[in-house]
Amino acid sequence: MGKVLTAVAREQCIGCLSCMFACSRTWHKALTETKSAMRVRSYTGNDGAFSLRICRACENPDCVAACKTGALTQNKSGVLKLDSEKCTFCKECVEACLINALQWDSEKQLPLPCSHCGICARYCPNEVLTLLERKEVAHVDEDSGD
Amino acid sequence: MWMKILEIDLTAGEHKVIEDEDLFHMAMGGTAVATHLMERYCDPQADPLGADNVIVLATGPFSNILPVATKTVAMFKSPHTGELGESHAGGRLAMSMYNAGFSAIVIKGAATEPLLLDIDEDTVTFLPAGSIWGYSTTATDRVLRSGRMGQRGKRSIMRIGPAGERMSTYACATVDTQRHFGRLGLGAVMGSKNLKALMIGGGRYLPQPDRKRFRALYDTVYESVVKSGEMRKYHDLGTAVNIRNLNHLQGLPTRNFSQSWFESAEKISGEVFGDTYLANQIACAHCPCGCIHLAALREQFHEEHGFKTAQVSYDFELIYALGSNLSIDDPRAILRLLHKVEKEGWDAMSLGVTLSWATDAFLGGYIGTEETGGLVLRFGDADTYLEILNRMGEGTPGFFSNLERGAQVCGELYDCRHLAMTFGKNEAAGYMTGPNAFTDFIVGVRHSHLDCAGYALDQAMVKMEISVEDQVKKMADEAKFRMLLNSLVICLFARNVYTKDIISEGLNLLWRECTTDELETFNADILRRKYEFKLKCGWQPTDLELPGKLTEVITGAGRVTQEDIDIRADIYWREVGIPADCHVE
Repeated sequence: MGKVLTAVAREQCIGCLSCMFACSRTWHKALTETKSAMRVRSYTGNDGAFSLRICRACENPDCVAACKTGALTQNKSGVLKLDSEKCTFCKECVEACLINALQWDSEKQLPLPCSHCGICARYCPNEVLTLLERKEVAHVDEDSGD
Repeated sequence: MWMKILEIDLTAGEHKVIEDEDLFHMAMGGTAVATHLMERYCDPQADPLGADNVIVLATGPFSNILPVATKTVAMFKSPHTGELGESHAGGRLAMSMYNAGFSAIVIKGAATEPLLLDIDEDTVTFLPAGSIWGYSTTATDRVLRSGRMGQRGKRSIMRIGPAGERMSTYACATVDTQRHFGRLGLGAVMGSKNLKALMIGGGRYLPQPDRKRFRALYDTVYESVVKSGEMRKYHDLGTAVNIRNLNHLQGLPTRNFSQSWFESAEKISGEVFGDTYLANQIACAHCPCGCIHLAALREQFHEEHGFKTAQVSYDFELIYALGSNLSIDDPRAILRLLHKVEKEGWDAMSLGVTLSWATDAFLGGYIGTEETGGLVLRFGDADTYLEILNRMGEGTPGFFSNLERGAQVCGELYDCRHLAMTFGKNEAAGYMTGPNAFTDFIVGVRHSHLDCAGYALDQAMVKMEISVEDQVKKMADEAKFRMLLNSLVICLFARNVYTKDIISEGLNLLWRECTTDELETFNADILRRKYEFKLKCGWQPTDLELPGKLTEVITGAGRVTQEDIDIRADIYWREVGIPADCHVE
């Protein structure tokens, strides 16, 4: 299993969206935050100002199970792979993700699976995000996570 | 960058998209484009609160593309000064305008009923807003953010509070989480147009140019912001750190500029706010600094452990205006006042200086309990100031309604203009550092400390000796250079990050090829155009009078005389190419 993108200090997020811009720029050559495979959302609760939506590279992921055509699969590292030729744009994978981590490209009508490359963490100014070995993820305080 | 303008006609209920490559190739963006659009759309003789006034919003070639290019420029005819109004705001507005595909928006005409504009790329929906008319800025944001947010990208919400609806001439327009087009009364202009709020977003984007060059440029800026320490102070304590610094230099206005140091400054320092009240630092979109400081204000509303907690943004100018300048030394009282100001949607600086004028006028016998409805005004009495704000919020004609028109109007109405700390009719920012700060306030194109940074020059003068001529030349050069920074449009906190080399590379990559000489001509031209617009509105460069009280007080650089200001102004007008005796028919 490869490393998994993980929020280790969500409460430190300042909401600058540098992570989302980095993801869009790197994977889509697009100068925008909208193509990012993760999301920073405003959070009005009492525990930090922002909520993060990051793919957890689940074991037996619900998004993959929801895909009826086999377009969305998971490799041995836990990373999702999309075969856009097989995608029927039904969006059921996105809707199956209970934590709203799997994003949707409204321009191309395709899901935006996270590659867990860590480019978002590279551009986080406040050490909110990092790549961890899967066994390390279990030790992250869940309140500091997504 | 986008080469498109969204033109919205509130009277006709129509909009159109205008491609204008010539304008953006010539004027770049931000303050320069807005100046050209004011020349195109706004009659300098327009009634600032009439349908013929316009609101221009403009972003620049770096907006949403490079870090810390986070500001949007608003330009309009100011109901506070009667001439060119300009204010800048952060938040997510620049990002959302980019996502919608526009580098400028022009709003003209006026609606007959309360209106919400919902902009989604080229689609503009005119929605009745009677149900939210009267709502505070915070309630409006809460309702709109939960009720009508689109799915694509992040949306920005710009709105007014009750102060804007009442057309207080220094009402602000609030953007997203407690960011503001604070100065010169954009909120009143929106109110006069019945425009309660504007929401904007979309899914448009530009492709990344030359990947290697762009990455190098981006990383240089990003690393400088995050790691070099250039912006560290803005994230850490924020500008509130200057309470202690300016007090030490004897530049902190206290009790309506009676003295330049506050004996209780240590009680309201940035360190106290940071250590005791700071709840969160958050950022404008695409700014890895995160300078927005939100304090937690915990208030008891019931004796049996009934508490409520509000988040209130603070910075240096707010603590000066509603703290030292009113002689309030309790951070909780300052936050309580700020919370009310935030909800009503006033410009905190103009409000604070108007309250300090009122107190001085009361103590001097120019007004009495007959005007104040029985209230006794004295410096340091936060409860009475809060009561004044409540009465202003009632909007009843009379003394409290007059306070909504600012210190200078009140000074003239009650025969004590000399107590109104205004320059060009605009209330002073929080600097009593010396003659350069006051000269900046008087001659600056926005009558703001941000025009020429005179306050910073006064502070630098402590450690160096240069002639008056050279001091003013430095201010004029700064005023011109800021035309470029404000056309890009970058946050001025990042002015040391964006070196001339970085700007040049960014423009060549994201705008068009241009030479250093061309940029210098560009800067001088835009500054001159703004003064020309002001002249056409009736502003006079010969109006240089210091508020009378200021000639009697001691600043960080000693006493400042009217003669000193006159000499400096003469040099400044020569340097920026505005003859001091000029006038426009």
